[in-house]
Amino acid sequence: MALPELKEFCMPATADEVASLLEKYGDAALFVAGGTFVHGLEARGFLPGVEALIDLRKLGLDKIEKGRKGVTVGASVKFAALEGLSGLDTPAYGALHDALSYPPAQIMNLATIGGCIAASCPFYDVPAAFQALDGVVTVQGGNSSRELSIGDVYAGLFENSLEADEYISSLFLPKQDSGTSSAYIKLETNANDLALVGVAARITVGRKNKISDARIVLGGGLNDTHKRSAAAEAVLNGEQASDTLFQQAADAIDADISPISDHRCSAEYRGAIGKVYVRRTLQQALQRLD
Amino acid sequence: MKQLVTLNINGEQHELAISPDATLLTVLREDLGLLGTKRGCDTSACGCCTIHIDGKAVYACVVYAMSVQGGEITTIEGLGENGKLDPLQDAFIEAGAVQCGYCTCGMIMSAKQLLNEEPNPDEEQIRHAIAGNLCRCTGYAKIVDAIKMAADNGLKGQSS
Amino acid sequence: MSAANIIGKSVLRPDAHDKVTGGRGYPVNFSLPGMLHGKILRSPYAHARIISIDTSEAEKLPGVKGILTHKEVPQKRFSPVFFCPTGAKSLVRDMVALSDRVRYAGQPVAAVAATTEAIAEKALELIDVDYEELPTVFDPEEAMQEGAPQLHEDAPDNVAKNPAFEFGDVEKGFAEADHIFEGVYQTQRVHTCYMEPRVCVVDCDKQGHFTLHSSMQHIFGLREKLAYALDIAESRVTVVKPPYIGGGFGGKLDIGYIEILAAILSENIGRPVRMEQTRYEDFITTARHPIKVYLKTGVKKDGTITAREARSILDTGAHATHGAEVIVVHGLFGVTFPYKCENKKWEGFTVYTNNMIGGGFRGYGCPQGCFAVESQIDEICEELDLDPIEFRKKNAHQKGDPHPFNPAWSLNSYGYEEAMDKGAERIGWSDRKPAGSGEGTKKRGIGIGTQGIWVSGCMGFPDIYEHTGALVKLNVDGTADLASGTVDLGSGQITMQTQIAAAELGIAPENVRLSYADTDTVPFDAPTHASRATYSSGLAVKAAAADAKRKLLAIAGDIMEASPDDLEVVDGEVRIKGSPDSAMPIGQVVQVAESPFIVDTGEGYEPSSPPQHKGTIIGASSLAPPENPSPATALFVEVEVDTETGEVKVLRCVYAHDLGKVINPNAAEGQVEGGIQQGIGYALMENLVFDEDTGACLSSDFLDYKMPTAVEMPREIESIFIETNEPSGPFGAKSLSEQCVTVPAAAIGAAVYNAIGVRIKELPITPEKVLRALGKL
Repeated sequence: MALPELKEFCMPATADEVASLLEKYGDAALFVAGGTFVHGLEARGFLPGVEALIDLRKLGLDKIEKGRKGVTVGASVKFAALEGLSGLDTPAYGALHDALSYPPAQIMNLATIGGCIAASCPFYDVPAAFQALDGVVTVQGGNSSRELSIGDVYAGLFENSLEADEYISSLFLPKQDSGTSSAYIKLETNANDLALVGVAARITVGRKNKISDARIVLGGGLNDTHKRSAAAEAVLNGEQASDTLFQQAADAIDADISPISDHRCSAEYRGAIGKVYVRRTLQQALQRLD
Repeated sequence: MKQLVTLNINGEQHELAISPDATLLTVLREDLGLLGTKRGCDTSACGCCTIHIDGKAVYACVVYAMSVQGGEITTIEGLGENGKLDPLQDAFIEAGAVQCGYCTCGMIMSAKQLLNEEPNPDEEQIRHAIAGNLCRCTGYAKIVDAIKMAADNGLKGQSS
Repeated sequence: MSAANIIGKSVLRPDAHDKVTGGRGYPVNFSLPGMLHGKILRSPYAHARIISIDTSEAEKLPGVKGILTHKEVPQKRFSPVFFCPTGAKSLVRDMVALSDRVRYAGQPVAAVAATTEAIAEKALELIDVDYEELPTVFDPEEAMQEGAPQLHEDAPDNVAKNPAFEFGDVEKGFAEADHIFEGVYQTQRVHTCYMEPRVCVVDCDKQGHFTLHSSMQHIFGLREKLAYALDIAESRVTVVKPPYIGGGFGGKLDIGYIEILAAILSENIGRPVRMEQTRYEDFITTARHPIKVYLKTGVKKDGTITAREARSILDTGAHATHGAEVIVVHGLFGVTFPYKCENKKWEGFTVYTNNMIGGGFRGYGCPQGCFAVESQIDEICEELDLDPIEFRKKNAHQKGDPHPFNPAWSLNSYGYEEAMDKGAERIGWSDRKPAGSGEGTKKRGIGIGTQGIWVSGCMGFPDIYEHTGALVKLNVDGTADLASGTVDLGSGQITMQTQIAAAELGIAPENVRLSYADTDTVPFDAPTHASRATYSSGLAVKAAAADAKRKLLAIAGDIMEASPDDLEVVDGEVRIKGSPDSAMPIGQVVQVAESPFIVDTGEGYEPSSPPQHKGTIIGASSLAPPENPSPATALFVEVEVDTETGEVKVLRCVYAHDLGKVINPNAAEGQVEGGIQQGIGYALMENLVFDEDTGACLSSDFLDYKMPTAVEMPREIESIFIETNEPSGPFGAKSLSEQCVTVPAAAIGAAVYNAIGVRIKELPITPEKVLRALGKL
């Protein structure tokens, strides 16, 4: 475990302290959220020249606050803490419930909301669920903050769109409309694996079983970031829910995927499973409303 | 350049000077001689290094020791009291769940969190709780038996 | 306590308490004062010549105490394999400690010892190596073609070994066949995944004597190989037996670069040197060899096998290491022996490529053969509409038949058919549906995989050590100390030895203690491998205990004024047979033996006992087992295949095994359950993969190298132990632990066929392969 140029491990308690650390170290500083991802990056040689680790976990970003319009989750809230989120067992939050049900516990107990989004890792599960639920992050930079939809955080594989002095401070999950349901499935080889393919689906089902506000979030190796399938969503919105419709939505994702081939499986296989999972998550979401 | 850190381990305070990026695994083994927590992969995937921070199972190999100030760390050496083994430790012996034993301490720590939170788990919950702990010797069968045995013994203990 | 109360009982493991409280005995925990830390620099290229290597900058780094390159180490060629004498013709001596010729990506090219690991790692970065890249070859069949890069001067066409066997007349046999089946079966490279890494501490003292602590399966082999590689006398090397190690599975059956380099560094510097491999390094240090099998079998329409011909291509990577022996075991036990047929012909090739080196792994060539042979039988039965169990019975060896390996032996105990029958009943074989006939997207199937002939140790193998010894010492408190060179890998050798010694002595197992041992203090033991520990080491322990007991009874007989033939030991007491009141605790007899000859009674001095009673009661043995009796195995599995994703789930396993006699049922089940985990991994998901162009390992951590967790395991694994009471084995025991890894891939392949009607002949059976085979990709 060697970051050879590392000088300091810092745990700032205020935004001002963060700012002055960034002033001192500039580009050579790296934010640490839960810490489960940074070691993997370092081992694969992605982190040359890091001089300071800035751990965000003492900034007090660990609250969950329920409001009228939705829930605000602090960036340092761990996955395991979300298991107590009220409403997690409702159909609307199905995708989040599913994403949180994948082991291992050792990661659930360390990984954070802010970290898992900022990592811009398409192989993660929880961000896919957040994106399907229209999550919005608040990004802190110096004394100012701004809001971004989750999709806008991603710039590329393991690359986020944040400025060097910015970090995610919280996530807002808006209240879901009644009649909303969601689900998430991932393809893994064993129970302690990142997603080879991951799909989150959310639908709102109204009168005559008509669908609105569909969200299909594709992850795993289907693209180099999590990405919504506009094509699949277009097939679904305004139509009556049915297995046939769901299959059509699944087939439509070809327009929105550029799967990778790697030593785990081929692009062709990933694409095929992506379709199966779009259909299955939609079917599961619909079933949850019964 | 070393940094000072105070760590609370198994109820004792330790003040140490460590590398800023030293993991808790390295500090436990090399600075404190607590050898029960083991290195199997160093990449958060095998579970041999599982310990508790504030009662929650984590991989010590990806925890920066500097980040744990104020947290209560429990290792295998912290289980059991007054010379008596923890019920899980007893059960692992009884059930024949220990072969080479290299994964054992990590398994026990994962199981301990499970039983603390769910005193009567079913088989799926048990397998789920140890999904982050690899074992190459036992096929997990008697490990699952041991955890169930410890849970049953715990429930019996409660009702008497 | 009689033998009947100990043998066949699930006695608790003596080492379990230590392991659940932290586990002190692992070699990875061992350290010495003043110890340095070593690290290895590895080549990024798969095939290269080192033009120059400059360590001057690294040497300047404060804390660096020694550096080795090929220029500083002996260039004596050796084979690292433990279980043969180093000069044996069966081995191929093609390795040196450090070479200027690189043949696989990750091959060590330099080593550094420094005061901390971090400094040693930093020093590696300062070593400047100038490589000349050479053309590579990664496929063994390509490597055998003309024009392929030659990897070793004395191996034309890159063939390190080319054994062949022929029995009867295959041409005649094929002519007699009604049908001929041909197929090609390919298995992949997998890693043993022992959880404790390879690690050693080597200490060379001022007189040039080396002491080693290492996580290895053989202390004597390590001594022999180190001495050979350094060109020194074996008496200058002592290897300490660890209390236990954290897994081996055959992946720690050869000396590593770390032991040799740590030894040379320690000698040069004058301080102990420790080297621990990272998980990445372990992944590229040892593997099960991939083997491609071309298999042709002729059968009559009633299922009688008339001829078999096969050719096996084994990819041994950069050096032959275990590939030299795996090919032979594979050809004989994996392909040729399992079924009776007069006409057989087999040829094997151990081929060099620029892939990583291989090692031993439970099954040692047999799983690769079993997958081919059993899969083809499944095909034959499907094609000819024959029952897979009846087919096997028709062609099986029978009890009393000559052992195919050595006709001078007979299959005196043989439960192959019983294993199939009992397993079939428990899985519900008669309810098995035709292939692919299930409804819905998730289809279930049942399959069988068997292995009719295997080993209990290495007796009869050319060039392979097979003798063992033990020492038993009786104590004044009635306990016994047992010293043995057998390393406990986790598979329960300590438990088995204490049970056998206790049963033979007549004391409780918890009163037998495994004591310190090293290569100076105990008789030679062959490695813990080849399913030999219970049969071979068990026999030696039994003999040593019997020897101690003879001496005990001779003294007791004198004291009790009875003939030793009329005495027995029960529950730790010596008794006259049929007269329980005559009991004298063992400890009391030992006290007589150990006490001073003359005793001050307070009223004078008197002899306590005649001189011939005096002296520590020690039993010793060193012996070769008489035979190599064959176990027999049948595994039945039920799988479920998701025909939309190709995922295969193993639902149920019924494993039936003739092991002669169960010494410890709980431990035996544990071996089966663990073996099935390895077998399922082999069948469905494990695969060491490399970059096609550079040869770099792409699956060198557990994130990318997948093996089954608790979630992937079948919820039901039933073990049926068949006790045929092998006459030559300790208390009737033969072997157990490799077969359970050998048969799962074949059984799972057959079950997948039964579920979906497609057969996959290349491991692992991944979801993608299944989907392709179903025509959906």
